[in-house]
Amino acid sequence: MENKIPAFLLEEPPPEIRSRPARRASKSSFIDRGLKHVAGVINTGYIQWETASQGGFLQGLDARVKVIFLAFFILIVSLKRELHAEAAIGVFIFLLAAASHISLPAFYRRVFFFGFFFGFLVALPSSLNSVTRGEIVLPLVTLSKPYDFWIYHIPRQIGITREGLFGVAMLTLRIVNSVSLSFLILYTTPFTEIIKALKILKIPDTVLMMLTLSYKYIFIFAKTVEEMHLAKRSRLAGGASSSEGRRWIAGRITFIFRKTRLRCEEVFKAMLGRGFSDSVRLYGSGRLTATDRLSCTLFIFTGILFLFM
Amino acid sequence: MHIPDGYLSPQTYIPLYGISLGFWALALRNIKKELSTRHIPYLAMAAAFSFLIQMFNIPVPGGTTGHAVGAGIIAVLLGPWTSVAAVSMVLVIQAIVFGDGGITALGANCFNMAVAMPFVSYLTFKLINRGSKNGRRLYIAAFLSGYAGLSIAAMLTAVELGIQPLIASAPDGRPLYAPYPLSVTVPAMALGHFLLLSIVEGTMTVLLFKYFLKHEPGLIHAIKET
Repeated sequence: MENKIPAFLLEEPPPEIRSRPARRASKSSFIDRGLKHVAGVINTGYIQWETASQGGFLQGLDARVKVIFLAFFILIVSLKRELHAEAAIGVFIFLLAAASHISLPAFYRRVFFFGFFFGFLVALPSSLNSVTRGEIVLPLVTLSKPYDFWIYHIPRQIGITREGLFGVAMLTLRIVNSVSLSFLILYTTPFTEIIKALKILKIPDTVLMMLTLSYKYIFIFAKTVEEMHLAKRSRLAGGASSSEGRRWIAGRITFIFRKTRLRCEEVFKAMLGRGFSDSVRLYGSGRLTATDRLSCTLFIFTGILFLFM
Repeated sequence: MHIPDGYLSPQTYIPLYGISLGFWALALRNIKKELSTRHIPYLAMAAAFSFLIQMFNIPVPGGTTGHAVGAGIIAVLLGPWTSVAAVSMVLVIQAIVFGDGGITALGANCFNMAVAMPFVSYLTFKLINRGSKNGRRLYIAAFLSGYAGLSIAAMLTAVELGIQPLIASAPDGRPLYAPYPLSVTVPAMALGHFLLLSIVEGTMTVLLFKYFLKHEPGLIHAIKET
């Protein structure tokens, strides 16, 4: 069949036009970056709901068991002072994540991001002997003499110490384990179930109501801001300066604040209309099943094992 | 500013949980006394408002960015106890849902950002404003309330992190929790905040304050009281 596309559409664009978007793409405005963050928040919410509803080991357990498991294991992770114990806890969490049919690459991408930036990168300079004294395993620089400046001492030979490396590895592993425990529970438990478990664990009703409403408002606010920004961009010809951006953000935040304040009365009336009577009532929070009890025993037994490891 | 899990030893995070619990209980009592259940959506909205403020990274000179916490402006607008409750909610949600700040460190994070910061901001505002209802004095008070609140919160964070090598190291000197001593954490946090992030917080506070003063001056708690 003959090609009917006009010739001008088949022409290659001149090089200067092609190269422009690449240069500009790297310099997005701070509002765009903030909006990306907002979109990320909305995505996180949706992903959480999707994963929490999938059938798997942890998804089948009562939220009370999972909340107690999280609190117990987070405490154990913070108490352990040996690398092999932290590594063993990491393997246990991996097995639980696999048994819960969570997308492991996506799960660990997020976990390792936190572990790398907040653990490894932050702690890495502390492995130098100028911060953590000890046996140098990797010499880096040798100065002509040691230097003393106010309360700081710079030794003649600067290098990475065995003790410093231990500290970096310990902190990174502890952060990876703590974050993966939180995400594991989050990915397998809907937020409403977490609130239900907290109610049973005697958290005051006012706190639970505030938590639930704040959580919902965050997503509503995030969506509203994203839509306002898109509406603004669609009307804008050319770019806006940083100071204009700052004024726009301040104006929009105030606008949302005022708008929502006016809506609060309506929200409360809607709450009353749905039978709200000053306290949080629970539906469907029955007794623990045999599987819940068995899993709880398994978690407690494993936890104690890790404590004495 | 959000301390993750693993940086604080139990001898630091357990007492800070205790202090924060005390303030949460007092905040709840104050809120129940001052506000009825119909205001709970309002408090939740304040929490979401603080969350939203924290998501916008504002460019600052030097090519970097920083974000505000919002505890200062909420304290000035809605009162310090409301700010304690609202910012605590945000920190709880951030720790549980978004992995921002640790669960063991929640007490410490709440003490720094949801307890110390609102009260320092509110008191700074009242101290500088001294009953003025308009004019430049109000804007200076708003800027300094945000600036002082975040700076004190940052210093508290620096001290909590910096004492770890002193109180929780192995006998051979291996760091078991946050590895940097006070001589590193205090100057690092002071430089970053006094010269940069506290200015962002102060600017955000004064910008929002300006809008509220123009459109809804009756809403501002710190002015209403005087």
